[in-house]
Amino acid sequence: MLQQEEEKLQLLRDLLLVDDREVASAVNEKLEEIASTIETQAKLSEKINPIIEARLKEFVTQIPASLGPVITQTLKTQIQFSKDEVVEALYPILGKMIKRYIANEIAKLSESINQKVNNTFSMASFKRKMKSKFSGVKESEIMLSELDAPKINEVFAIQKGSGILLGNYSLSSKVDKDMVSGMLTAIKSFVEDAFEGGAQNLESIEYELYSIHIQNFHTYYIAVVISGSYTRAFESDLENSLFKVSEKLSSKINTLSRSEVDSILESLFKSWQSN
Amino acid sequence: MSHPKKIVILGHFGVGKTSLIRQFVDSQFSEDYLVTVGVHVKKKSVTIDNNEITLVIWDIEGNTSIDKARKSYLLGSHGFIYVFDLTRPETYANLKDQLHYLKEEYANVPVVVLGNKADQFGTTVSKEYFSTKEFEDCLFTSALTGENVDNAFVKLTKKIIE
Repeated sequence: MLQQEEEKLQLLRDLLLVDDREVASAVNEKLEEIASTIETQAKLSEKINPIIEARLKEFVTQIPASLGPVITQTLKTQIQFSKDEVVEALYPILGKMIKRYIANEIAKLSESINQKVNNTFSMASFKRKMKSKFSGVKESEIMLSELDAPKINEVFAIQKGSGILLGNYSLSSKVDKDMVSGMLTAIKSFVEDAFEGGAQNLESIEYELYSIHIQNFHTYYIAVVISGSYTRAFESDLENSLFKVSEKLSSKINTLSRSEVDSILESLFKSWQSN
Repeated sequence: MSHPKKIVILGHFGVGKTSLIRQFVDSQFSEDYLVTVGVHVKKKSVTIDNNEITLVIWDIEGNTSIDKARKSYLLGSHGFIYVFDLTRPETYANLKDQLHYLKEEYANVPVVVLGNKADQFGTTVSKEYFSTKEFEDCLFTSALTGENVDNAFVKLTKKIIE
């Protein structure tokens, strides 16, 4: 009787507790797996690295928008309040850059002078010596001026007012010449209007290494782009040449085709190249 | 080859002069509005009856009236395009006076009048409103969609070479 009751009780225990034991066992297994993952660096990295990488990528893409203004403002404030420190920090760097640039330019200059000195018996050298003798200018000074001699790069003949390109000669074809002549005329018109100088004309434009000489005639003007040292003597020679060109152009400027004007300017260009 | 023809685009601020030129020259449109300061010069060739004609287009800054524009920019023009904005009445309120001014000052220079932003017809603008005599010679263009833009420049070029 007692045994029977014990068996029933056992059956009841089995029925009531079997599921709990399975759950407990599964939980235990999972806990062991998590503990093992956390304790083993490799396993932990495998799980966490993709999450960190995704977050980092997101952070990097957000830097310009979120941190950009803050960084800019901080830098501005820092520079404003620490001008001396900034100058102190930049001074050696800029100094080195300038020093290197000057050294490089002096090396190039020295190379050119050597080349000229080595050609002592050349025709050019003879001409230089003669020029020095008759002008009273030292040969060395003439030599130096020759190193940065002005050079004509482009010539444009442009209709006044409309800015229509009548003809041009150029060694480069980087920018559309019709647009250049339009813009050049717009700049010229603006300056002539803005300063209310009456019937005065803009005669030159200078920008860094280039000068634009503008020779005005009645219905058109000629713009000459020059690089190198643009001296008064060169300007005077150029003006004389342009007056000669205008003798060919002025009377028939409205009837000449663009290619005809081009060839007149080309001859001017080439005569200058050969000088 | 004949010399290029100078065309100047006139009109109030923000009527779409630069956008029309961009659409015509580069086939592009941008929603960004950039005020034209001074002048921009662009170039494009059109072919009419097998003749290629180069147009040098001066895009000058907007002005409420042509007499306020820098006169030197208009010198030597072969043609004018006057642009107004269909959505802004103040840009065509003085249209008659403006065309009269051009006729007086530049008697032999042809003009084409454009009502721009035609993509707004049926939404913010009524097409019927512009069917009156005052606008009978206008071309309605859209720099956004390109509608009639090429036609406008071709129309002016034909008038120039007539």
